[in-house]
Amino acid sequence: MIKIFRYECKRLLWNKFFFGIGLVLLFYGWQVLSNATILGISHTAPFSPWSFGDYLCRMMPLLWIGALFFLTFFTSAKAKRMAVLTDATPALPGHYALARCSAAMTATALLTFACLAEAAVFYGWYFKWYHWGTLLLTAAAVLVPPLVFALGSGWILGRCRPWLIYVWMLLPMGVQAVSLPSMLGVWNGSFFTEYPKTLGMMDPAFTMPPAAIAAQLLLLAAGIVLLGFRCFGTERQPV
Amino acid sequence: MEIKIQNVSMTYPNGKCALKELNLDLKSPSLIGLLGPNGAGKSTLMKLLVAALMPTSGAIYVEGRPLSKMERVLKGQLGYLPQDFGLFDELTVTQFLDYMAALKGLRSPGSAVSEAISQVNLEDKAKARIRTLSGGQRQRVGIAQALLGNPSFLIFDEPTVGLDPEERIHFRNLFSRTAQERLVLLSTHIIEDVQSVCDQIVVIHSGVILFSGTPAGLIESAQGHVGVFWEQEAAWEDGLHITARVNTSQGIRCRAVADQLPSFVQPEEPTLEDAYLYLISREVAQ
Amino acid sequence: MKGIRLFRLELGRLLRSPLTWGMVLLTVVSPLAGLLLYKPASASTMLTMYLANPSISGGAAGGIFFGILTVFELNRVSRSRAELLLDAAVSPLTMALMRMFSLMSAALVTLGVTMAVWLPISRSLIGSVFGILDYALAYVLFMGLALPLGILSAASAYQITRRVDLSLALFAAFAGLSLTVWADRWQLCWLNPCVWALSDDFSNFRIFRSAAYMRLTWLGALASLWILSWMCIRQYGKGILGSLARSVRHIFRPIIALLLLVCSVTAYAAQPLVDHSNPDQTVFTFLELEYLEGVICSGRTAQIFPDTSAGTVDGKASYQFQNASGQIQTVAFGINPGYTVSAVWVNGAEAAFEVGDYQEFNEAMLEVEIPAEEAVELTVEYGGFPKESRNSSSMQGHVEISEEYLCLENATLAPRLMNVLPDEGMYPAVIEVTLPNSMTVIPFGTGEAAAVKELEDGTVTWRYEDNGTGGILYAGDYIREDIEAGGIAVELYYGRKHQKVMEEVGGAEAVKEVVNYCTEHYGVLSFGTGKALKLIQSRVAGGGYATDGASLLDEADFTAANLGDGSKGAASGEVMIHELVHQWWGLGNMFDSSDENNPWSAEGLTVYTTYRIVKELYGEEYAREHYIEQWQQAVDDYYLNFYVRNPEYLDELPSDQQLEISNSLSYVRKYCEMPLKILKAEELAGGEEAMDQILYELFNRELDPTYPYLTYEDFLEACGLKEEDLNLD
Repeated sequence: MIKIFRYECKRLLWNKFFFGIGLVLLFYGWQVLSNATILGISHTAPFSPWSFGDYLCRMMPLLWIGALFFLTFFTSAKAKRMAVLTDATPALPGHYALARCSAAMTATALLTFACLAEAAVFYGWYFKWYHWGTLLLTAAAVLVPPLVFALGSGWILGRCRPWLIYVWMLLPMGVQAVSLPSMLGVWNGSFFTEYPKTLGMMDPAFTMPPAAIAAQLLLLAAGIVLLGFRCFGTERQPV
Repeated sequence: MEIKIQNVSMTYPNGKCALKELNLDLKSPSLIGLLGPNGAGKSTLMKLLVAALMPTSGAIYVEGRPLSKMERVLKGQLGYLPQDFGLFDELTVTQFLDYMAALKGLRSPGSAVSEAISQVNLEDKAKARIRTLSGGQRQRVGIAQALLGNPSFLIFDEPTVGLDPEERIHFRNLFSRTAQERLVLLSTHIIEDVQSVCDQIVVIHSGVILFSGTPAGLIESAQGHVGVFWEQEAAWEDGLHITARVNTSQGIRCRAVADQLPSFVQPEEPTLEDAYLYLISREVAQ
Repeated sequence: MKGIRLFRLELGRLLRSPLTWGMVLLTVVSPLAGLLLYKPASASTMLTMYLANPSISGGAAGGIFFGILTVFELNRVSRSRAELLLDAAVSPLTMALMRMFSLMSAALVTLGVTMAVWLPISRSLIGSVFGILDYALAYVLFMGLALPLGILSAASAYQITRRVDLSLALFAAFAGLSLTVWADRWQLCWLNPCVWALSDDFSNFRIFRSAAYMRLTWLGALASLWILSWMCIRQYGKGILGSLARSVRHIFRPIIALLLLVCSVTAYAAQPLVDHSNPDQTVFTFLELEYLEGVICSGRTAQIFPDTSAGTVDGKASYQFQNASGQIQTVAFGINPGYTVSAVWVNGAEAAFEVGDYQEFNEAMLEVEIPAEEAVELTVEYGGFPKESRNSSSMQGHVEISEEYLCLENATLAPRLMNVLPDEGMYPAVIEVTLPNSMTVIPFGTGEAAAVKELEDGTVTWRYEDNGTGGILYAGDYIREDIEAGGIAVELYYGRKHQKVMEEVGGAEAVKEVVNYCTEHYGVLSFGTGKALKLIQSRVAGGGYATDGASLLDEADFTAANLGDGSKGAASGEVMIHELVHQWWGLGNMFDSSDENNPWSAEGLTVYTTYRIVKELYGEEYAREHYIEQWQQAVDDYYLNFYVRNPEYLDELPSDQQLEISNSLSYVRKYCEMPLKILKAEELAGGEEAMDQILYELFNRELDPTYPYLTYEDFLEACGLKEEDLNLD
């Protein structure tokens, strides 16, 4: 299945879409960094985990859309026509799905890495700040749960009805527009603007309250379960 | 390879009944032609055989064991070319076949891919991206993926669609050679293809098998039911199905099938096409 | 004819698609989001809340929905693999054109349906200040034009990339930029126009013009992009460049695209609405010009002719100088950067002049040489469309010129003399303004305007006398109410449309209470001429100002929505209170304004006094929550701000970003920190009564004519405190 993974990566990464969305992300990211992040969030430095987290939350809708678009490579009508050939092979559907899922994750991770690298360049350029390691925890806490969930839920929805993936793309925009409980603040960025102020100290280190950690873990768990369901659940299609 | 289809019925969720109480034995080596009009149930039967669908009743046995338990074994020995399929346009022909070889779990994919490419005469397009291929070339890629790894059971659904006459003959011969030691199921509308290579014929209509046997047997069944006549000398009669109509200098010459040939029709030796049309027309009339 | 048939066919097919109806339905419903979720316009007028926000959110959502619809509709043929069939029957270029027209038609129908659905709802929500013209313009400009922009941008993305995924990602980023980082850049926010307020009581043509200008700029740019993408539509089996090369053979296509692009880029670069004022608002080079030696100004006159339908102004201003220097001198004026100076005459002869490129606080510098003659008469002819300052470009609408309302301030009224001292401390001025007869002219200051001539075209020429280098003029369909309070005759002017609300809210009573409070606590106002105070309702401005004998009353202070807000007690109008208090603290020689960065300014005592009045009117809890806690929050934020704590990082940034950050921080020290210090002084001095006494004495102190200003040291001394006593924790 490593070969399948390699070929799927090639399909996802070597095309107009990947480079296009990569450029779009970099352009959008630079706008966010130079207009919003540069001011610093919640009285912290622009390169604090909090400002960085806010930047990632602002990038999340595009990353979410990107991740779901990678899934359309596997769930589109064109892909379904190809599936009549692959379904007739002895490959275990679970393993096959796992290889494809890993490819989608790799592509999403590369997009994410582009955003992180851009922030690193920005911090170095403007502030001569290079302690990127301190931001990894924030990046993991903000990005991994929703992106895993995006892949898991998107894949299930795409298998049911391919157009549902496109509707699902609008979810982060909806989440940005409504006010969420504080424990879900990471989802729309309000956590990074509100929570540091409640810690009662200057430039607090990055921490998350247990409720927010639980929310992120639940999201991650839901994503993993959905992916697991996709990879190891039943495969037979009625028609 | 031996496959037994016992009392298989298939009804789709929308209520359409595609197959009714179908019984059929398939045994290698053999090249079986599957004939039938559009919507007869041929593709459904093939999907059932590749375990893409499950029958609503009845069972399919592979080497004497239910298909549900033999699915992986069957797929390990299966080459399948569906009527309508997609390819990964962004890969080259070799990459795509290598991908399929990996999915089929072939031990030496490199040589299998090369062999398949040469079998379908696509050597000069081996490095070309699939999106750049013509319709016929894509069809050949589809055939190549089915032939990958020399499977012992091959199912081809309309394999020669889009191919030029020369290619058609090439593939007919290829299927014939392949069937010398394997089981090949060939669904097609081109009677000529079936007549040239198939040792067995199965005719399906409305989900029911109308005939199962040799081509000669099918032709035999139409003896005395095929004839020709001049249109200007003919009178209209019920049950006379015109199968060909040729303009000549003496007038229009018609070929027809019927249960009872009218007096103005001069009997002729039936071809396989006549026999097939006679069988279907009789079924439609009933 | 074939085109029309194809268009009808395509439109019919589009309207039969469930996706189309889904998007239309969502678009029709989307103004609801402006009432509940997405409220980009922040003012509290009824039209802002119930017209601007719904129409802007309808436009933002509708633009996105129609963009998505466009991508899926353009992909429909390829999705159903009918490209070859269709291309064999009709040219793909013709088909793309028809699809564009049908999508545009669907957008038009959607706008019509939305306007019809929301008309009764808006009418009932807005109440007595509803106007059908405002409604139609808001929906057409704020919402309607977003739909074609969404269609054009999404179609361009699809026609170039031919991929649904990439087109949608491009479109999402383009829309996302408009909704987030470009939201405050009035020329860039293509989806959600930069509208912060709509006036209930006066017209809104200036902000409508701004939104229309932005939309048209983008329409040009995106139409050009669309034509380019249209030429890239793949044909004859060629790739993007091959197809483009074939398409450009019809030379009119690239020419139209290029023309549209040139128009759009020119419109963007040479926009006539906002000036290029220095973004560094701590720089005052025009104020710091040295006065000319031996030259004085003995008087000036101006004749101003606003064109209320075009929103422009034409004027002629004359200045009388006495040049005792015996030398040629260069006189400098500040003039609105939107104006063009057509001619300058010096003593009857046309003179050379120069208008500089540098702009500061909404003024450009006009320089004219005057001869070495004793008496010089200098006349400037000017006119044009006044520009607003770019530093407040996200809050446009201020320079409204219409038959309902007009506000001309300083260099927008007439060239403002910058480097000549007045004769005996005065710049006597006679201003004449000609306006439609429905308008009442109100000079912002002690002067009184009188109608002197009625013209045949239905206009009236008004004349008033003023003092100073600039001057502010209000005019409109005003009602005047006279109030006696604190020994002052207050002339309250408000718009006719506001009469009902004003009566309900008891606006006159609120004014009386504030004047009485200040008179009782600090003493009686003394004006240079008479004892009258004009209180003029301005178009919603988000702030105000005051001068000798006049203060502003923001219309947002007295809206029906404020009236319904029980927490504000019987009276509202806190900006009005603030501006009225400036009559006591902040005018004339009260504060030395030479150092604009000094936290001790007119604002500290004014904000403090406003708090005291609000506390008396609305109660202690309300005042604490809305004043002390907010000051404290702002001051905390200020001192906690990363760049305040680490100025070395601010120095590292490019100058544009430095300015943006420092400007956003500067107001806190004047408006929040100083009032907190005064509050602390009140505690240390013995409470409110003691502070009232201190302020009374300061207000009525003996003035030192050489330095008449009230200094921070004077204040500390009167309180018996040292500077460090007022340091905040």
